Amino acid sequence: MFSYNFHLALKSLKERPALTLLTILAIATGLGLYTTVKTMSYQSGQVPLAHKSKNVFLLQMDNREVTADAVEHQARMVDTTYKDTLNLMQMEMPGVKQTFNWSTYGILNVEDENINPLRTFAAVTNSAFFTMFEPPFLHGNGWDKATEESGEAVIVISKLMNDKLFGGRNSVGESVRINTHVLKIIGVLDTWHLTHKFYDRSFSRARPDNFFIPYSFAMQNGLPRRAGFDCWAANADIARSFRTENTERLINSECAWVTFWAEVPEEKFADYRQQIISYMESERALGRFPRELVMYLTNLNDQLAYVHGRNQFLNTFSVLATLFFAVCLLNAVGILLAKFMRRKKEVSLRRALGAKKKTIIMQHLLEVIIIGFLGGVLGIVISYFGLQGMMSIRLYSSDYTVRVEDVLPYFQLNWTMIGHAFLTGIICTIVASIYPIWRLCNVPPASQLKSQ
Amino acid sequence: MDIKPIFLGLKQNKFMAMLMIIQIAFTMGVLSSSVLVATTTLQEWNKPSGIPHEDIVRISPEFFDDSQDVGQAMFNDLKRVKEIPSVINAAPSNAVPFTAENMIDVYLATEEDAQGFKTVVFESDEQIIDVLKLSLVDGRLITASDVVKGDIESTPQSAAEVMISQDMAQVLFGDDSAIGKTIWLAKNADPVKVIGVYSNFMTGERLNGRGKSYQSIIRPQVKWSQTQQPHYLMRVEQGTAVALLEDIIDVFYLERGRYINSSELLKRTQKRMYDGRGSRALTFLVLSVVLLIITGLGITGLTAFQVTQKRKQIGTRRALGAKKSDIMRYFLTENSILTLIGLVIGVAVTLSITFELSEQAGQNFFNLSVLLMTALLLWVVNILAVWFPAKRAANIAPAIVTRSA
Repeated sequence: MFSYNFHLALKSLKERPALTLLTILAIATGLGLYTTVKTMSYQSGQVPLAHKSKNVFLLQMDNREVTADAVEHQARMVDTTYKDTLNLMQMEMPGVKQTFNWSTYGILNVEDENINPLRTFAAVTNSAFFTMFEPPFLHGNGWDKATEESGEAVIVISKLMNDKLFGGRNSVGESVRINTHVLKIIGVLDTWHLTHKFYDRSFSRARPDNFFIPYSFAMQNGLPRRAGFDCWAANADIARSFRTENTERLINSECAWVTFWAEVPEEKFADYRQQIISYMESERALGRFPRELVMYLTNLNDQLAYVHGRNQFLNTFSVLATLFFAVCLLNAVGILLAKFMRRKKEVSLRRALGAKKKTIIMQHLLEVIIIGFLGGVLGIVISYFGLQGMMSIRLYSSDYTVRVEDVLPYFQLNWTMIGHAFLTGIICTIVASIYPIWRLCNVPPASQLKSQ
Repeated sequence: MDIKPIFLGLKQNKFMAMLMIIQIAFTMGVLSSSVLVATTTLQEWNKPSGIPHEDIVRISPEFFDDSQDVGQAMFNDLKRVKEIPSVINAAPSNAVPFTAENMIDVYLATEEDAQGFKTVVFESDEQIIDVLKLSLVDGRLITASDVVKGDIESTPQSAAEVMISQDMAQVLFGDDSAIGKTIWLAKNADPVKVIGVYSNFMTGERLNGRGKSYQSIIRPQVKWSQTQQPHYLMRVEQGTAVALLEDIIDVFYLERGRYINSSELLKRTQKRMYDGRGSRALTFLVLSVVLLIITGLGITGLTAFQVTQKRKQIGTRRALGAKKSDIMRYFLTENSILTLIGLVIGVAVTLSITFELSEQAGQNFFNLSVLLMTALLLWVVNILAVWFPAKRAANIAPAIVTRSA
């Protein structure tokens, strides 16, 4: 019976190829766009460090003065002061790792005058950064605690910088200059794709940092600090100057600007939280933290959910793509109806000869599934090109300042998305065909045989 | 033509009518939302630049070695770059057209409540007018003797005379001549005198986004420090810019301890100014076109189905004396009624979508004329989509009615 139905379904598909093609095209176009947007949304919603993201927390303590405005959401809360950062790093707690960082920039150059200097962004951090955030190393390693405490001039550079400045050879042990400071290379990273550069809270995409240096070196040598400084009124007027100068004053100020991260296993969370609160209380005894004690420990998943929800372009685009798909499905309903109703006569004859409604439904359902299948395949092909197109637009709109390698992961189909698209295609086609099939199988037997 | 039979016909086939209405309403909603988003994004897009941007090169070097003398380097740079045969003229400037984002308020009085006018100040030397190929509209040009030059530390004085753009003059002084008038570049700054008015040129996105693209001031002063190094603008012979760029960069790398931050034709700077918005609008427009095609095909399918359904009725009508044009008109009117209902619902859908989007983006997307234009376009596409099946219907032979029982 199945093979007979299958045979009939195939025959009917071939019967009016234009209408069949139209149905498939309508479904495929809608599905193609829908999958394009869903894939972009899915890929940019990927949480970095997925295997431990729920245990990696951003720490924010409200150290602001009494007159400051209340803060309702973690995203609006200030970061950490340099003072607190150093104090918290002293806290010993087995199983808990802590790191912190801020952004800087510098002009990387080498002795060789044939290689032009490069200006690039970078992260200033401590040794735990490499064990907590796990960037892949191509050569060498990160630095250790002793090195950073001594203020030694060491640097970890990205693969891109290594390729540009050293032609891709193992440059560990060689030196490089940031502006006029000479630093020793101790590690070269491999390509490190983070869906969002979360650690400096910029959540920027496709613009990885190109070198990493120890905080002590950066502070001692006055490297620029690309950060927002949330200062008390006393320092508000010079807050901007902290970007490049007044390092001493910044260290002793109540200005919050360092992003502070902790990796805390689940069973230690309550303890860690308590420890931070006791720290705040002890500092309060010294006249700091004048407000109600508010602190946030927000894990990566929650932060990403918030950032992702605010992606204006994707949100607008998602709404439109879903509606677009709906329009395409409505079209499919119309075309299927037109197609099926032409077969009224045949169906009424078959019914008159004893075919059950169920048989008619089965036969047409099979046909629709084949259409859905083909629509799905074509839809996936369209979404592949759609994604390529969106990627070109992304490259164009960033004026080719981002590299294809860095952007590619945001526009890549994977099996999850393909499977998802496929199922959506078939299910939606079946839903779209319910009414046309219902109409067809309700044609009274022999009703169409009277005429002609 | 009697409308009544059409309604009777629609009543008979409620589902088809509903389907068509929903489809049109949805299409209208999606189409007009994306067109509205696109047109809003494209406002103030690709306006005339007022300068020969294909023949102007900008270079923005940056010293990383603090021991270098910025002033001396600038002198060397300008001398060297002007020695390149195809370079016509060069000037240092604190801002670059298309990316001049340092927006300030300029005042006509010093009172506390004086009204501010948005503008961008270009600090440069007397060559800037020629480099940008601006023309003199009123007053006189700045000369070498007007230019205040020096290290910021050792040069406290500022230029007391400025030139302003045509649009700036219009905004500040209306139809009066701007020459000899006094303006203040900040509330408590020293007054400066307007000595000339030059032709408009594009400043940058911040003013452009406010519809004030051409309000600018040129102040004849060049000041520098380690943290404030000038950009260079140079005009080259027509069409040679692309080929010359590498040579020009090499000249700037002759100074050591320095890095060239950007080096490009102003044409590219202009592209960058617009392309974030341009590409987004383009995406939406492409979507709209695809959607229109799909809906058109869908309507054709549905009408073709209707025609098949009504073959016999059509034959009867024809046999009773209806003309071919009557049949055509029947289908076109029927479709127009459905389209109208669909469009009304569609406008409601659009309003809610744009309202939601405007809320999210904090920007008003709504525009009545665009909405009406979209509705009209959709109507035309619908008529086209119905035309072909209707034509086929009109060709149904009256004799068909005689065939059956």
